[in-house]
Amino acid sequence: MVVLILICVAQLTYLQIINAGHLANDPRNTRAALRDINRPRGPILSADGVVLARSVPSKDNTEFKYQREYPEGGLFAQVVGYQSFVFGNTGVESTYNDALVGREADLQLDNLSDLVSGSNGTGTVVLSLRVDVQREAAAALGLQRGSVVVLDLTTGEVVAMYSTPTYDPNPLAGHNSLEVQKAYKALNDDPNKPNLSRAFRELYAPGSTFKSVTAAVAIDESVATPAEPVYPTLSQLDLPQTDSVLRNFGGKECGGNLAESLRQSCNTTFGQIGLDLGDKFVGGMRKFGIGVIPPFDVAPGAIASIGPAAGSFDLNQPLFAFAGIGQGDVATTPLQMALAAAGIGNGGVIMKPHVGAEIKNSKGKVVRRIANEPWRTATSATTAQAVNTMMTDVVEQGTGTAAKITGVRVAGKTGTAQADGGPPHAWFIAFAPADAPRYAVSVIVERGGSLGSEATGGRVAAPIAARVLKVALNK
Amino acid sequence: MRQKLRNAELRLGLLVVLITTSGYLLVQLADKPKLPSDLWLFLGVVIALYGAAHFAVRRLAPNANPVLLPLAAFLNGIGFVVISRLDRDLARNQAAWTAAGVAAFIITLALVRRIRTLERYRYTFLFIGIIAVLLPLVPKLGKEINGARLWVGIGPLNFQPGEAAKVLLVIFFAAYLVDKRELLASGTRKFGRLILPDPKHLGPLLLVWGISILIMVRQKDLGSALLFFTVFSTMLYIATDRVSYLVIGGVLFIGGATIAYQLFDHVQTRVSTWIDPWPVADGKGFQIVQSMFAFGTGGLSGTGLGLGNPQQIPNAATDFVFSAVGEELGLIGAVAVLSAILLLVGSSFNIAIKTPRPFSKLFAGGLATILGVQSFIIIAGTTRVIPLTGITLPFVSYGGSSLVANFVILALLMRISDDTARAAAEQPSRTAHALPQ
Repeated sequence: MVVLILICVAQLTYLQIINAGHLANDPRNTRAALRDINRPRGPILSADGVVLARSVPSKDNTEFKYQREYPEGGLFAQVVGYQSFVFGNTGVESTYNDALVGREADLQLDNLSDLVSGSNGTGTVVLSLRVDVQREAAAALGLQRGSVVVLDLTTGEVVAMYSTPTYDPNPLAGHNSLEVQKAYKALNDDPNKPNLSRAFRELYAPGSTFKSVTAAVAIDESVATPAEPVYPTLSQLDLPQTDSVLRNFGGKECGGNLAESLRQSCNTTFGQIGLDLGDKFVGGMRKFGIGVIPPFDVAPGAIASIGPAAGSFDLNQPLFAFAGIGQGDVATTPLQMALAAAGIGNGGVIMKPHVGAEIKNSKGKVVRRIANEPWRTATSATTAQAVNTMMTDVVEQGTGTAAKITGVRVAGKTGTAQADGGPPHAWFIAFAPADAPRYAVSVIVERGGSLGSEATGGRVAAPIAARVLKVALNK
Repeated sequence: MRQKLRNAELRLGLLVVLITTSGYLLVQLADKPKLPSDLWLFLGVVIALYGAAHFAVRRLAPNANPVLLPLAAFLNGIGFVVISRLDRDLARNQAAWTAAGVAAFIITLALVRRIRTLERYRYTFLFIGIIAVLLPLVPKLGKEINGARLWVGIGPLNFQPGEAAKVLLVIFFAAYLVDKRELLASGTRKFGRLILPDPKHLGPLLLVWGISILIMVRQKDLGSALLFFTVFSTMLYIATDRVSYLVIGGVLFIGGATIAYQLFDHVQTRVSTWIDPWPVADGKGFQIVQSMFAFGTGGLSGTGLGLGNPQQIPNAATDFVFSAVGEELGLIGAVAVLSAILLLVGSSFNIAIKTPRPFSKLFAGGLATILGVQSFIIIAGTTRVIPLTGITLPFVSYGGSSLVANFVILALLMRISDDTARAAAEQPSRTAHALPQ
């Protein structure tokens, strides 16, 4: 009997100590979500003070005391997420859960000193996202499928992050288990994947927007300067190790130095630079964050963008030519391209992206600010300035003139990315003001949006970038 | 001497009252941050119940072992606190059943003044016991609940006659074995190092084996079948001191279990979800996986009473009450409950060892084995040490029949220990070895 009891004690020790963390955090264990569902929960606010999520007393006759509401519906769903007692929490509701329910150390310390004054212990999470910029992004995209990401490039704060299609999170926060499961299943079965946060969890070929990265790596690695060398004027580039060629857009001839080639988005030049860089290209991309999972405070987090494998140049040289123009093995998230633009605008330093700005107690006192920290050094400051100048030229007199804003100089790069199975994706990345950069933006319109195969990044995506930048800059 | 014993029992009882009431208070505070209106009523009822049992012992069995009642009350109290946290309606029923259990405890002490009176009615008990086992199989009377047919419904009341049967059959077996143990112990066939008894004396073992198989097949109750069989094999071993009975018992059990495994889907499911519940965590393995989540979430010190989510585990109040304890009171609470069970079972075996009468010895040993094996089956089942078989955790789980039966077992054990001590006091010359502590 004693032996049998000791076996049980040993197994209990295994379950409750050794394996406890694993069992407690298993996604199938909904206890964490349930534990919090009947606690008071603070609101989530936008930077301009609009309520994005709040808890109100539950009026249905269930055991639940509170009902979580999302007054803005689908506009912020892919960032704010939802609180579900069936499927757990996601988005900011998950990342900042401890702050919202008041379990965070800063809040608890603050509450101790505040015991007398009667704060209710919950935290308010204030995001860096602005409702005005977010609304403009949604209006500019309209029914076209795609994403818009706006970053404050000096801090890494996300100012807007929106993608279509989106979904209404309110049914998922319901109190009827069967109805919640029905809503969840409908969402998952939708072929348009409205619950996919495209902005940071979907990969696309970045196309010619990636030429800004190629240019920066070329300058950093001393393969080229904006003026030197002068690349030959060609309509197509013969590729090594194969019979195939790399063609210019529309088959037209182009060439010249790096600045001229970027302005016209000349494929043959950037294909050649990709070949000239060789294996060094992979390291240069990595400095921009390609191949690295960006830290991001929106559960379940951002995914890593990808490029050619390190040391693979000798095996497959054409892939490096295609990488030079953002095709082939290169695939990025819209967030990653916004980060690349942000790094160039910020003197080469990419700040860690985050949506959280500050945590307040229930009485409105700030108890913690989310730190602004550098994430990666993409290029040297001089390289960044050189690329800035060339990208400004793209908007002034190149392919990106549709992104011009009266009174503000914009630096940008267009992209029209070939993708299997349909029309190309229309891209645009930018930052502004070019002389004192503040905001970086990345826009993708899948399959060219309403223009379809007629679309280019310059025609479809650049105007959207201009619209959101204008609102962000209050112009 | 007897004063000292009873005062110890009273002091331990006050501790139990304190623990139970604090637990109840914590559960209520977790729900609403104000003192529950029925706290004084609750305290009064707990004191009244324990007091009634304690003073009954003072009058009816003053020399009985002083730790059994507090240990049982502790387990009962912890169980009630957890049940009140899971389901208020169940808690109300459990309170009524606890009162019924205490009444049964007092009545048993009052009716059974000498344990040997039971010995005389062995065949009556056997007869009633077998009827009780078979009762749920009677059409219309028997009911199937949660896939096991061990209930009898009369009007609004459901009860499990199997709970009564296990006590009655232990009485019969103790008496039977006292008569036949000489024969059973005299081995006639040698088989290697084992001395096997004459096959004709194996009758009772085979009878119980048959009853166990019947329970398993007809009532789909694996836990009870395992319990019956283990208890009687152990009693045979105690009576004869022959390891061969344990071996034969083991062989018969493995044979029965193998046949059952091949014949019944539900047995195969139990085994496969025991070996690896994770692929079916949303289906057949849901219960055991939720139980493991409960233990994991509880960790060392638990979530605190009323602050976890043990209601996630189906049948948390009955079969999985130990998982609920593990979640809300942590490893510390779970080990406290295990220790109480170990002390209870240990003290019961101690009673069996100390009593000089063969019948009492076997009877106490059988009752102690019931408590021990039953606790092990369900605790090891919910912690995935052995395949899960549904059975109540003595005194802790929700369940009227089980609670009343366990209080009767408690009363009988205390009666035996009182008999022993009294006999020792009456014949001081013979009993140097049997004095109560």
